[in-house]
Amino acid sequence: MLEEKEHVHHFKENGGFEVDIRMKLESIDDPFTEVPPSDEMTVFLNQHIGPEGDPLVKKGDEVEYGEKIVDFGGKGKMCVPVHSPVNGEVKGYASVRHPLSGGKERAIIIETEDEEKEPCYEPLDPKEASRKELLERVKEAGIVGLGGAAFPTHVKLGEENISHLIINAKESDPNLASDVRLMMEKPQWLIEGIKLMGHILDVEDITFATRTEEGETPEFEELLRDNDVRIKRVRPNYSVGSERLLVKEVLGKEVPSGEFPPQIGTIVHNVATAYATAKAIKEGESLVSRGMTFYSKKTGGKNLWTRMGTSIEHILEYVGVSQVEFERIALGSIMMGPTIPDPSYPVLKATSGLTVFTPEESDPYEEEKPCIRCGYCNTVCPVDIYPQMIMKAEEKNDIKRLQSLNVLDCINCALCSYVCPSNIRLTPYLERAQNKIRKKKG
Amino acid sequence: MSEKEDETSGLYKVGDPPHIHIGFDKNQLMLKTFLLMSIIAYASVMVMGIQALFHILIALGTVLIVHGTMDSYQKWRGIKPTYDSPASPLVAGMIVGLCMPIAAPYLVTAVVAFLTMFVFKYMQGKYFDHKYLNPAATSKSVLFLALAGVFRFVDSEIAARVYHPHHQELDLLSAEGFEGAMWIFRGETVPLLGAEVSATQGLFFWQTHGWIGGASGVVVLIVGIVAAYWLRYKWRIILSTLGTMTILAVGTGLYLGGDPLLRVAFHVFTGSVIFMAFFMATEPQSTPMPENSQYIFGISLAILTFVLQIYNVVGGSLYALVIMNMATPLLDMIVIKSPYGHRESKGGG
Ligand code: SF4
Ligand code: SF4
Repeated sequence: MLEEKEHVHHFKENGGFEVDIRMKLESIDDPFTEVPPSDEMTVFLNQHIGPEGDPLVKKGDEVEYGEKIVDFGGKGKMCVPVHSPVNGEVKGYASVRHPLSGGKERAIIIETEDEEKEPCYEPLDPKEASRKELLERVKEAGIVGLGGAAFPTHVKLGEENISHLIINAKESDPNLASDVRLMMEKPQWLIEGIKLMGHILDVEDITFATRTEEGETPEFEELLRDNDVRIKRVRPNYSVGSERLLVKEVLGKEVPSGEFPPQIGTIVHNVATAYATAKAIKEGESLVSRGMTFYSKKTGGKNLWTRMGTSIEHILEYVGVSQVEFERIALGSIMMGPTIPDPSYPVLKATSGLTVFTPEESDPYEEEKPCIRCGYCNTVCPVDIYPQMIMKAEEKNDIKRLQSLNVLDCINCALCSYVCPSNIRLTPYLERAQNKIRKKKG
Repeated sequence: MSEKEDETSGLYKVGDPPHIHIGFDKNQLMLKTFLLMSIIAYASVMVMGIQALFHILIALGTVLIVHGTMDSYQKWRGIKPTYDSPASPLVAGMIVGLCMPIAAPYLVTAVVAFLTMFVFKYMQGKYFDHKYLNPAATSKSVLFLALAGVFRFVDSEIAARVYHPHHQELDLLSAEGFEGAMWIFRGETVPLLGAEVSATQGLFFWQTHGWIGGASGVVVLIVGIVAAYWLRYKWRIILSTLGTMTILAVGTGLYLGGDPLLRVAFHVFTGSVIFMAFFMATEPQSTPMPENSQYIFGISLAILTFVLQIYNVVGGSLYALVIMNMATPLLDMIVIKSPYGHRESKGGG
């Protein structure tokens, strides 16, 4: 339940928080059910970090499930294709506010004709296919990081000189449980995906970093052991699941500021991405659906298998709640999910959850009070920066001070706001401060 | 290709994450601080008697009257009230009550409480972006300085009861002078136990002189540790203040004489140090944010306090605190802690 329990004495210094995971535990028991596609699917051209690709379809075109509808174009390696989530007809293009960027972006509207799911690509035999062919398939299938960042997976898998692969199953978000469900329901596919990732990267040293305790996913853990994948049980602190912090947790090394894990010979992939990779290579499935957790106080946690482009209103209807019951909807987790103004917004590749709030669950940051300089925010900050000072410098537009306060190292975990006794939402200040510095750097 | 415009109904409220809060707010922090300090107040009344209770009640009454008046005024003028609950004023009142010397006239307590609430809480908060000076410490310092000035020129009984002119003659540096000055803490008979306490025991457990809040150093220590852990006070300040005071006390005892244990009991366990370290030097607004700056703050506070204590400056610890409060903006600039990713070259470690 979304109870705001007092936990002040639980927060830890220097990196983390013993976050209340009762909401997650409540969600774990609910098996995945498949949400049928909505009558109209809204498929954004850009659902990843990187440039938007070139559309391949026009109004009136018939498209098939899994068919590529947006191609890379000549836009470099960070471009990722997009596929049709249904068999249907292209109704046209719409300029829709993107739930993540906040700006208007292009989306293809597809009218669903049936629910058939026949993979579009031929399966590949990993023993016979070359590394190049496997990488090409991952790229062609539109795989991106499913932990929330939506970073192109083929770029990460294409890195050279990697000695360590970490599979991130920490799933830190306090109310999401779809990764654990995957571990429970699809252990064989997951292990295939992990092995394939190790094979493509030519890495033998693989660590499976998980929050789960011994016995929570026994079948899967046995498979991990049989395949020489080391299990690392990560302390339950909230933001340890962030890629950079996880590297420190597993390897005891820090990723240098402004760099990425490959700099220190490490790659981190989300567990759900491993699943998508296995499906793309061994079954020819393009990335058009994913597991996510729907959470509301009324329904508890529900794990749903949803196609990208499905509208939120359709999901609300599917779980049996009315859209007018709610006052706020967050796309993602209760800690980090951006809110959407309208239920017509679609599920994206990066949508790992949906958290909805009734008017009774009022925004806890509505009644902001003046800062009392208690230092809780910097005490809890997992990357050891000073959110309160950043807020003050941002208000004064003091760019020099912002730079000296290392605001670009913020991982946007929102813990500082979570613990603030003055109920100050520090996240917008941090985001503005980061933007100001990036703008200055050009 | 046909393009249609986005039509969002704006059905839902939008806002930045997070959408959940720990559920522990400023008012709860203040209320819990007040409740914990009430334990110290209870111990003080047990040790020092009904007079201590009067001081505390006068301080609490005064701040509540000021708060009530200001709150009504702000509501009448349509201004957002500064405090949405009396929790913070109550803490201020309790601190004033506990930081007064038991011998002070009640009028002085009321004036300190008034200055604390009106000038250094309401006005300081109104005219500055935050409270740079600890309200209770500054009020008491200002008033004590004024009374010290009065005492120089006028033979005032009120000033004398606050200023303690006989303190000027004490020699706390030499072994003889120090041990001789400690007579005031020994010889009390503890009710129920019927035992007489030594100076060291008196300073630890049963102190009938000095600050009301320091009547039982041990109670302050226990309650202070619980509060600092439970409510996440800036513990580095407490640790560095008390640690430095202990080192200075032991060092002075070893080099200049005087039983080191008695020196620790005196220099660390008098209310002006132990109560101040836990409940005044950690006042969040007027103390530094960076962790290393908090250590510097505590160490400097202890050194200043020790020097002023040795030279018999009445209220020395509070002057030291106010001086360190003034240095806080500077200390805030010293962000020594390196963030993640800056600590190790090439990610080694
Ligand atoms: S922003 Fe909040 S948590 Fe940080 S110092 Fe201010 S009141 Fe405390
Ligand atoms: S959001 Fe940024 S500043 Fe706040 S706690 Fe997380 S990493 Fe630290």
